[in-house]
Amino acid sequence: MRIPDDDDAASDTSLSIRSSLRTEDDSSTTYSRSPDDSDDPSDELVTPLQPPNSTQQFTTRHTEFGHCANEDYRHVSAFKPTAKIVPFVEEDPPYYILLPTYFSYIMLIIFGHIRDFFGKRFRSQSYRHLMPSNGYAAMNSDFDSFYTRRLKQRMDDCFSRPITGVPGRTVMLLDRVSHDNKLSFNLTGSKTRALNTASYNYLGFAQAEGGCADAVEEGIRRYGMSSCSPRLEAGTTDLHQQAEALVAKFVGEEDAMIASMGFATNSTTLPALVGKGCLVISDELNHASIRFGVRLSGANVRTFKHNDMGSLEALLREVISQGQPRTHRPWKKILLIVEGLYSMEGTLVNLPGIMELKQKYKFYLYVDEAHSIGALGPHGRGVADYFSIDPAQIDILMGTFTKSFGAAGGYIAGSRALISQLRRRSHATCYSESVSPAVLTQIIASMGSIMGISPPVPQPAMSDPPKSSADVRGEMYVYPGPAPASALPTWMNLPPQLKDGSEGRTRLRRLAFNSRYLSRGLKKLGFITYGHADSPIVPLLLFNPGKMVLFSRLMLARKLPIIVVVVGYPATPLISGRVRFCMSAAHTKEDVDFILKACDEIGDLLDLKHGHVKERWSIEEVLRRSGELVEMEEVE
Amino acid sequence: MATSSINPNLEPVFAFLQSTYSMIESTWNRVPGSAVVARYIRSSHQNDPGRTLLEVLLIIFAVRTLLQSRTRAEGSGKNFISLSEKEIDELVDDWVPESLVQPLSPQEQHELDNVPVFQGPAGSKPKLLSTGKTVMNLVSYNFTGLAGDERITSRAIETLRKYGLGSCGPPGFYGTIDVHMNLEEDIASFLGTEAAIIYSQGFSTISSVIPAFCKRGDIIVADRGVNFAIHKGIQISRSTVRWYDHNDLRSLEEVLQSVEKERIKKRLPLTRRFIVTEGIFENDGAMLDLPKVIALKNKYKFRLCLDESFSFGTLGRTGRGLTELYNVPATEVDLLVGSLANAFCAAGGFCAGSIHVVNHQRINGTSFVFSASMPASLAVSSSEAIQILTNNPTHLTTLHENVRLIRSILEKVDGIHIPSHAASPLIHIQLAKSIPPSSPATKSMKRGHSLEPIQTVKSNAQSVLPANPLQFDIEAEERILQDVVEEALAQGVLITRAKRLRGQEIVEPRPAIKLAVTAGLNRKDTERTATVIKNAFVKVLARKKKAGPMLV
Ligand SMILES: Cc1ncc(COP(=O)(O)O)c(C=O)c1O
Repeated sequence: MRIPDDDDAASDTSLSIRSSLRTEDDSSTTYSRSPDDSDDPSDELVTPLQPPNSTQQFTTRHTEFGHCANEDYRHVSAFKPTAKIVPFVEEDPPYYILLPTYFSYIMLIIFGHIRDFFGKRFRSQSYRHLMPSNGYAAMNSDFDSFYTRRLKQRMDDCFSRPITGVPGRTVMLLDRVSHDNKLSFNLTGSKTRALNTASYNYLGFAQAEGGCADAVEEGIRRYGMSSCSPRLEAGTTDLHQQAEALVAKFVGEEDAMIASMGFATNSTTLPALVGKGCLVISDELNHASIRFGVRLSGANVRTFKHNDMGSLEALLREVISQGQPRTHRPWKKILLIVEGLYSMEGTLVNLPGIMELKQKYKFYLYVDEAHSIGALGPHGRGVADYFSIDPAQIDILMGTFTKSFGAAGGYIAGSRALISQLRRRSHATCYSESVSPAVLTQIIASMGSIMGISPPVPQPAMSDPPKSSADVRGEMYVYPGPAPASALPTWMNLPPQLKDGSEGRTRLRRLAFNSRYLSRGLKKLGFITYGHADSPIVPLLLFNPGKMVLFSRLMLARKLPIIVVVVGYPATPLISGRVRFCMSAAHTKEDVDFILKACDEIGDLLDLKHGHVKERWSIEEVLRRSGELVEMEEVE
Repeated sequence: MATSSINPNLEPVFAFLQSTYSMIESTWNRVPGSAVVARYIRSSHQNDPGRTLLEVLLIIFAVRTLLQSRTRAEGSGKNFISLSEKEIDELVDDWVPESLVQPLSPQEQHELDNVPVFQGPAGSKPKLLSTGKTVMNLVSYNFTGLAGDERITSRAIETLRKYGLGSCGPPGFYGTIDVHMNLEEDIASFLGTEAAIIYSQGFSTISSVIPAFCKRGDIIVADRGVNFAIHKGIQISRSTVRWYDHNDLRSLEEVLQSVEKERIKKRLPLTRRFIVTEGIFENDGAMLDLPKVIALKNKYKFRLCLDESFSFGTLGRTGRGLTELYNVPATEVDLLVGSLANAFCAAGGFCAGSIHVVNHQRINGTSFVFSASMPASLAVSSSEAIQILTNNPTHLTTLHENVRLIRSILEKVDGIHIPSHAASPLIHIQLAKSIPPSSPATKSMKRGHSLEPIQTVKSNAQSVLPANPLQFDIEAEERILQDVVEEALAQGVLITRAKRLRGQEIVEPRPAIKLAVTAGLNRKDTERTATVIKNAFVKVLARKKKAGPMLV
């Protein structure tokens, strides 16, 4: 929606918003089975607090991608050589928090078992699927499902909340109620618009409007929705080749390969890389997809303490000197698998430390950049970009498109020999559907707009002179510069602000500001947070399972509702239940203010401020000194 | 008690210990509920040792918090050799890893370079990027001819304009969009099951569904011919597997009997037991006799996990799959898994079943929980495909006619063998006589095996290999089939060899040409393609024959 730049902008704004709402209603005929109730235009989730002035033009819908023209609210995500990389420390709360947390779990377990005991005897009908019957063993044993039934179910209203529409800056929740103790939910038909801190929409590309969506529409018209075949048979179109070439350029490797699911990118590639006689060294907090793939590969696995270089080196020395178990034969190869950014902790991998160890211990390195690609680094090229490390030194770069790029699927990038071999050997290329053309278009358009398309434009805030890197199709390309015009399909016409990379750069800098502002702000307010200051994932520790539920409900019940993700056991250690904020370039400074204010109030209510920061600030001070907070090197 | 050899002075001590123990035991037994507790601990431990550990940990939490320190199982075992730091440094310096991957051989590179690439959309008549020519396509899984269908693309675009493209989150964390719930309902009511759950990739569906239910100690009875994804699911589940001969229900029954016999003999506890098989087998197009399998599973009290990736959307009057074809209620199948990427020309997979089965996967289906949900536009495409198939079954009648037409033409060709079922839209074509593996001495002497090996010994249910495995030379057979593929392409018909992950398959499937019949081609075009394929086979086989028995 375009805001007219004449004098009575304010009145026109509300008018145009109403009209845009009406079009939204019109298009929403068939899919939502509940009546569409329109937003209240006075709501600041829908209307910017301050109407735009005469020089500002916004091309995005405020609900999807917030209007924020103030250049002060920007930051560049880059590693400062003066900063030190602190290992991951788990900050413990005082005992009077810890003990009740354990107590809560004990009570839950005891009551759960008591209920099971009586339930099975007196209400056997509802326990039938948990008990052997009629000569069949139980479909899922009551022990296997105990935590699901007795712990998770109590907080099920905080999980799997259904939504409709774009999971952008705000999201429309479908309200639901449960009449059977959260065993099942019914939609009430009403909806709630909430500020979205839950989706992995780091760069704000979850949009139904704008240059990318236009490109996708054109892509669907030209290519349809499916390529109907595995890649090795007939699932390749020119669009696949273009997207793969662009990804290789984006991440700074020779070649890249795209799979139709991020999870499967790990789980079907790892078995093609390592096997018997190989060793995989895996961070203890690695994602389920990595563990899945490693388990299928038949390689030996060892884990090291999360992001701890000391533990990693000790392990490396042990495994190389001991060789394979029993036979002591030397390992064929050792593959170290780490994530760029850990999605539950917000920790950034200590890549400089790992590159040093790699020199000495000669292992191969596989970095899963699912969360870091696009979200980190001055050019959005992930952790290597963030630490100014040449990506070509990393053997295998993996990432997904589900997060920063608002698309789906994942990629593997590396040397040409590696990728060619994987194209033959990966389970996904041989047996799984290739990625949908619609998704490819979104990948090309969003990635292209972060890179910018040559002819080159002067790029502000470059930390170092660009390094030349290998080029896939023989065109001039310098990592991490703009993509050559030939990298886009000829039919794809991106609007100028996407083509020149200006919007992409704004997205990167807005995300960096928002991430830093939130994590610093929470720290200064006295909360215990994990993770790196530049991480767009900001976990705030709640500890007690009861507080997880309350936090989530209280956030949703506010006048301006906010949705958050709460995670507890088994996704985290038993006692460190947490809420996880995912920042987005789509958020405005005011949105982060809202979040901070909400956390401040709820934090007082739930007694959550147990951080060890030396000098706490009041909420007013945090909001006022946001710029200072973001620029600070360390928070004391 | 073996106390006799010990100093007799200790005798009273032992006697005392023994009586104390028996006293404690009997007191314990007298405590009301003690048996329940003991049984609880035992069964809890058996089901999940980790949980017992957790609960013990909870009880001693105070100790733990005070003495918190991370320990790592390191350097354990008697096999550990202690080395000095200097020795370790030397070993580290000496160690030379293998290279990460081997470079491709020229032949492999050639094969990779010759994978067809379309310029523009896939469909029944796509354009090849290499030659710029339009070809008739019997490779894409465009069975229903819905690829590029106007109705689907316009709904997809409409959805894009309302939802954006990506879902930006896993289903548990705000990635559940109303269109996903609608699609799940659509699938469930299309099939007539209580519920359904969608996964975002077809291939990754069954390999998550199997381990969600089958744990260590559970029993899987599987067909020897199941596809790669099922193999991976079985592998990850760590269940006990028993194999039966491919699509041989007598063999299935024997294995089911022997499993039950073994359980009784060894007094094993009753664990979950599954039959895992496919509707139409991806590896050869054979079709399952569903009613018989259901009778067997009920008789021996097994559950059935059926992969309908290729039968769903292609078989039956409206494409509901095997259950529609045999007129069996889909509720008889405990886990009905299918693909939305094949016949529906969208993406993803699903598992349909009872509410409990589906809800269990929402927390335990690994690739459901830990992966972003599928883009809204793709979900809507599948919903639309269901609509289209339900409302006008002509897509499927055309498909079935085309299958019959192609079969009638190809069956006249000498020298080929079609293991696929007559109604299968996936048609595999193998060489009638196998080329024996080439060992130089026997190469010129040996004749090809006939296809029905004489079953002399019974197959062993513990091994995935059949009793008399057919010997064939993969490379030689693939070379001939590739010639056929190229011959057909020269005539404007795109077909393919069934691509395999040679070296990674548990059993190497026999090389074959794989045709995916499509309703997107009309009768005339279908007839033409079949004739081209027939002629290509005739020509290539004749050429090989002329070249002498050395090669065939
Ligand atoms: C580290 C990591 N790898 C892989 C994935 C899977 O990606 P996708 O959601 O695209 O399947 C995730 C998703 O959460 C992830 O966090």
